[in-house]
Amino acid sequence: MPMRYKRTELAGNIGFSTVIDEKFKTSYIVVRFITALDSKSASANALAISSLSSSSSRYKTLAELNEKLSSLYGAGLTSFAKKRGDVQILGLSASWINNRYAFDGENVTGEMLSLVKECLFSPNAADGAFEADSFKITKKELLDRIDSELNNKRGYALSRAAEIAFHGEPAENPCYGTKETAENVTAEDAYSAYQNILENSQVEIFYVSANEEPVVEKMMTESFAAIRRSPVQVTFRTKSPLRSEPVTESDEFDVRQCKMVMTFKSDSDDIYALKMLNVIFGATPVSKLFFNVREKMSLCYYCASRIMSEKGALMVDSGVERENIEKAKAEIIHQLDEIRKGNVTDEEMQSARLTLDNAVTQVGDTPASYSAWYFERFCDGKIISPEQLFEEYANMTKERVVQAAESLRLDSVYLMLDKEAAE
Amino acid sequence: MEKEIIKSPDTGDSCIHVKHSSGLDIYICEMPGFSSVEALFGTKYGSVNTMFKMRDDKEYTVVPEGIAHFLEHKLFENEDCDVFELYAKTGASGNAFTSFDKTCYLFSCSKNYEESLRILLDFVQKPYFTQATVDKEQGIIGQEIKMTNDNPEWRVFFNMLRCMYHNNPVKIDIAGTVESIAQIDADLLYKCYYTFYNLNNMVLSIAGNISADEVLKICDECLKPCEDKGLETVFPEEPDEIVMPEIHETQPVGTPIFHIGYKCRVCTGQERLKKSMAASLAASILTDASSDMYKKLLDEGVINSSFGMEIFDGDGFFAVIFSGESSDPARVREALTAEIERIVKEGVDEKVFQRIKKSTYGMLVRELNNVEDVANLLINSYMDGVGPYDAINVLSHMNSSEVHEFMRDELINDRMVMSVIEGEAE
Repeated sequence: MPMRYKRTELAGNIGFSTVIDEKFKTSYIVVRFITALDSKSASANALAISSLSSSSSRYKTLAELNEKLSSLYGAGLTSFAKKRGDVQILGLSASWINNRYAFDGENVTGEMLSLVKECLFSPNAADGAFEADSFKITKKELLDRIDSELNNKRGYALSRAAEIAFHGEPAENPCYGTKETAENVTAEDAYSAYQNILENSQVEIFYVSANEEPVVEKMMTESFAAIRRSPVQVTFRTKSPLRSEPVTESDEFDVRQCKMVMTFKSDSDDIYALKMLNVIFGATPVSKLFFNVREKMSLCYYCASRIMSEKGALMVDSGVERENIEKAKAEIIHQLDEIRKGNVTDEEMQSARLTLDNAVTQVGDTPASYSAWYFERFCDGKIISPEQLFEEYANMTKERVVQAAESLRLDSVYLMLDKEAAE
Repeated sequence: MEKEIIKSPDTGDSCIHVKHSSGLDIYICEMPGFSSVEALFGTKYGSVNTMFKMRDDKEYTVVPEGIAHFLEHKLFENEDCDVFELYAKTGASGNAFTSFDKTCYLFSCSKNYEESLRILLDFVQKPYFTQATVDKEQGIIGQEIKMTNDNPEWRVFFNMLRCMYHNNPVKIDIAGTVESIAQIDADLLYKCYYTFYNLNNMVLSIAGNISADEVLKICDECLKPCEDKGLETVFPEEPDEIVMPEIHETQPVGTPIFHIGYKCRVCTGQERLKKSMAASLAASILTDASSDMYKKLLDEGVINSSFGMEIFDGDGFFAVIFSGESSDPARVREALTAEIERIVKEGVDEKVFQRIKKSTYGMLVRELNNVEDVANLLINSYMDGVGPYDAINVLSHMNSSEVHEFMRDELINDRMVMSVIEGEAE
């Protein structure tokens, strides 16, 4: 039987979506809280959501909670904080094997659903604060995570580039806040941040399973009914203003290979054209950037583009030798100019369509991919099926891609430089 | 050419195995309801295979380190174009990787898998290198080696291997070194190609939205029969002892990262699968977030959720690795060795063992839920000389005394090494 998708709204403006697909051996649930990204609340919110997945009122320590999860055939329970433009997305997700694979006949689904409910609505807290010992561990975990961002040089360079490109906008903030803001959050602050999230954030719940479980909708409806909700709608797309002159900022580290991230901004509303442009420009191994800048001219070890349609921005990130930085920069701009001039072949258009088509058709091969797909569409403001999205690309014209390229302007450049070669 | 159906007695999953007349082993898993297809075409040729001979050769040939990876890069180029350009016409996403003991070429797609499969089978069987393209690749791979040197996770791992292994080439970066790849030329690449890319030394695995009959028809069209020339690979003599117990390196990192590794004795086939499963359960028990040791280290603030384990085993190497971020890796090592000593003395707690076994079983069931994981399972189990569903079966028969024996015999202090990467002191 083909998959069945349904989205309903529960009381309190809560989006509740289900996908029933019989091929899966596992079930998956994710509850997302959507709120404005703000330097004042980012760390407290991130700590609040992490506190939910490290203990609960019944499983009072990470050890107890973990023991329960591993006894349920290694079920997963995780929390996350992500940034999407000016928006912070906080989530709790769980996945587990279906009851028919439980060799001791346990009701894994029933147990996991009640565990998720407990983590969300009955966290390990008392007197207006998360429990102190667990909170201490959760906080250290976050501080370590912020510290270790530097370990991944490519990711670090992208974060710094966003900080520069979106200076003065909410999107300049890291999704967990900074080390300083995180250090100052108390167990009381995090708990009150969570109350605020429950009452005022947008909520989207997604459940994917092989079988219908009407109990999930009932459970969520009843649980949220106890909360006085007045959700604040966030704006998913806020175009970032363009600087009058591009700026360049750099840091020096003891690294062997330099990194360069160029941020371009666009005022175009044609998000599908921008997404297709991104594929042709730098998102595949046959893209203009990969083929020319990396393969043909050997200027970079990697050189790829990514689109942030929620900010109207496109970033090109590359790993490059110091002496090649200017050459690489000029060639990246030259390749964009080529598209602006209309130098896009029918084969490039067709190949981009096929790439997007393949990506779209693969949606639904894992429970989490369904949820990610429909959530992306929710953020885009229009819930359409994978087939409908592909129609958009099938109808895309070269002219629209060229216009999208023309709309891009260089805003800022971030360089991670090698220390030893410095003067 | 006979189709053999392999079925898991534990989950009911099944796949097809065919020994093709060309010499190639083929594993196919039709997965109804899934949209995507994942295919891997691989050879038992990785960075450790630097010494080899054919049945008729008198002497072993020794080649420079990094050549398997170099060959992988070069095979991605046809005489007239790049393989990526071919996949661009089908929409598939193509890639390749070289590990310590294998090289695989793969694609994933959801449409036109037949055409993509033809591309895959064709280009891997059609080498084309010239000295000019080899020279250019030396620059590209040199950059890749440089980039991995900036990756602290990579450095901490290889530093650990250098502490562990005296002679085994597993201690060398998969890409080799700038010096070793400088010795590679087109002739040497052809020699390695014709040695290791013999279909009798290779395997195709394909899973997802496919028809087995269609796959076999394409294989019949595209595979060129190979004569089995009796390839033999050997490794330099490797003592059981480690090289040195500890290594530290400074790099720009936030929290210091560590790898604590135990060098274990090697074995092959079913024996290795059993040992690997026992090792995995033992290491899971030791890193279990419900254990007293974990709680203690967490409360002391010396570990965080990055604390984990890996069983690193392949052709000629076997190690158990504990890794994570810590402000005090020596404290983690002290606690770990004390915990191993305690369990060896008191025995494995049966309740804990059963819980960890369940959790491992859940993980193996999840793998069967994912097209990419299934294709990888099929190829990896072939490379390891076992059946695709043997792991889940070995697990179901494993008991706590086997895990205890593994800890007692293999997690030995004298064979333990620690590698740490820390930031510069401020």
